[in-house]
Amino acid sequence: MKIFDPHIHMTSRSTDDYEAMAKAGILAIVEPAFWLGQPRTHAGSFIDYFNSLLGWERFRASQFGIRHFCTIGLNPKEANNPKLSDEVLALMPRFLAKDGVVAVGEIGFDDQTDAEEDCLTRQIELAAEFSLPVLIHTPHRDKKRGTLRTIEVVRKVGFPEERVLIDHNNEETLPYVLETKCWAGHTIYPNTKMDEQRMAALVKKYGTDRIIINSAADWGISDPLKVPKTIAVMREQGIGDADIQKIVWDNPVAFFAQSGRLDVADLEQRPAIDRGQTFETNSVLRGDQR
Amino acid sequence: MLTVVERALSTTLRASVTPEASAWLAQACAAATNDLTALLDAYARASLKAGRAPLAFTAADLQQLHTAAPGVGFERWTQDDAARALLLMARLGQDGASFADAALACVEQGDAREQQSWLRALPLWPEAPPLLPYAIEACRTNIIPVFESLACENPYPATHFPERNFNQMVLKALFNAIPLARVVGLPSRLNPELTRMARDYAAERSAAGRTVPADIGLACHDSGKEP
Repeated sequence: MKIFDPHIHMTSRSTDDYEAMAKAGILAIVEPAFWLGQPRTHAGSFIDYFNSLLGWERFRASQFGIRHFCTIGLNPKEANNPKLSDEVLALMPRFLAKDGVVAVGEIGFDDQTDAEEDCLTRQIELAAEFSLPVLIHTPHRDKKRGTLRTIEVVRKVGFPEERVLIDHNNEETLPYVLETKCWAGHTIYPNTKMDEQRMAALVKKYGTDRIIINSAADWGISDPLKVPKTIAVMREQGIGDADIQKIVWDNPVAFFAQSGRLDVADLEQRPAIDRGQTFETNSVLRGDQR
Repeated sequence: MLTVVERALSTTLRASVTPEASAWLAQACAAATNDLTALLDAYARASLKAGRAPLAFTAADLQQLHTAAPGVGFERWTQDDAARALLLMARLGQDGASFADAALACVEQGDAREQQSWLRALPLWPEAPPLLPYAIEACRTNIIPVFESLACENPYPATHFPERNFNQMVLKALFNAIPLARVVGLPSRLNPELTRMARDYAAERSAAGRTVPADIGLACHDSGKEP
């Protein structure tokens, strides 16, 4: 089974995680730009962060045989600082033009403020300008209303719904997303959001069209192996391998291929690992053992 | 109000620390009045110098504090909380803009413990409105003790937050299993939108096969009924 985890924050994870992910069959990942658990206060911090997603983290993934793509965006938490958000949005075009950037994201609502709506709107417009898809986070709290407001904003901008992935769905929001042409992401977490059993039940109820799952593993309680673990539960629940393959590979690949920046044939091959390589003279090896 | 608070905090703190620490505090408060760098330095050093232990107020002092600053949870204050509040009080003699700028500089460069002290003392300041944007920002923290410093045993949000921000704060408290009884002034700020948010949250928890917080009715306008 080929596995694509379309939402995982590897910057916060260890090399043990990369090894376990490769062993479990994960071939490719998307790392959305995100916040770091507390707000940054300078736009320069974003330049370094975006560069690290495109540089060191992609290199680090390659050292474990995993292809790493990213999305660039201003997350909703930090969209509430007006000075910062204007500066970050102004520097985003430079980053959206780069190889390996497969969407604008993750953007969306957190507290559902006017500032968040403004940043969401402006970033969807940027995605239109760069012909990129968008990855949209839905809020932890007041999620159903946040999801409906997200759909309203997408429609107000007139952005093509088939290029929108609305993430972190649950039983309450999925039916609304499936009424649109947007894709529906589900984050399988140890305690919150969605779990494996509930996810299998949703697949049985709604099918596999435009359904995507991810681990969204980050610096919080989360598990980078949640996609393979959900595959195991879906199998136990009698969901066929062709359906599972569609959810964990075909759908995310088809969604991000809309960026024009994925080589689909290439993706299916596990990249060769060459640990003799270095990145700006830095290696994942310590003490230079090979 | 502040004279009473200042006296009670100062005597209680000084009684609990060494003479050296007491002398440090007096000197730091004097320097903080017109030297921003000295204020920032002392604000950061307060835990090292004044300690981190809970303050032991006398019953009479507590009663005076509660009369002077209703709703403020002084019972939970620590030595460094008191030292930081006294440092900012020393700055209050300055003009308004200078106080707000100095107070914001303290918290923007503060670690989690400095942020907690800052948020706990927030309802004491006469010019609360310029500090409102930071208080709203502080509610976005994922560090629960910092969030609790503002959301719990603190009258500032109920007094100053716009409805939307107050509602988000209450929902976040529910989300983090913080008892709503700790949110000061909640009954006076109930509104139909908060009721709807609480009901949607209950529905979402039920759909996910999870328990609904037992005190969720406290967020609902027609409380007493099941959400």
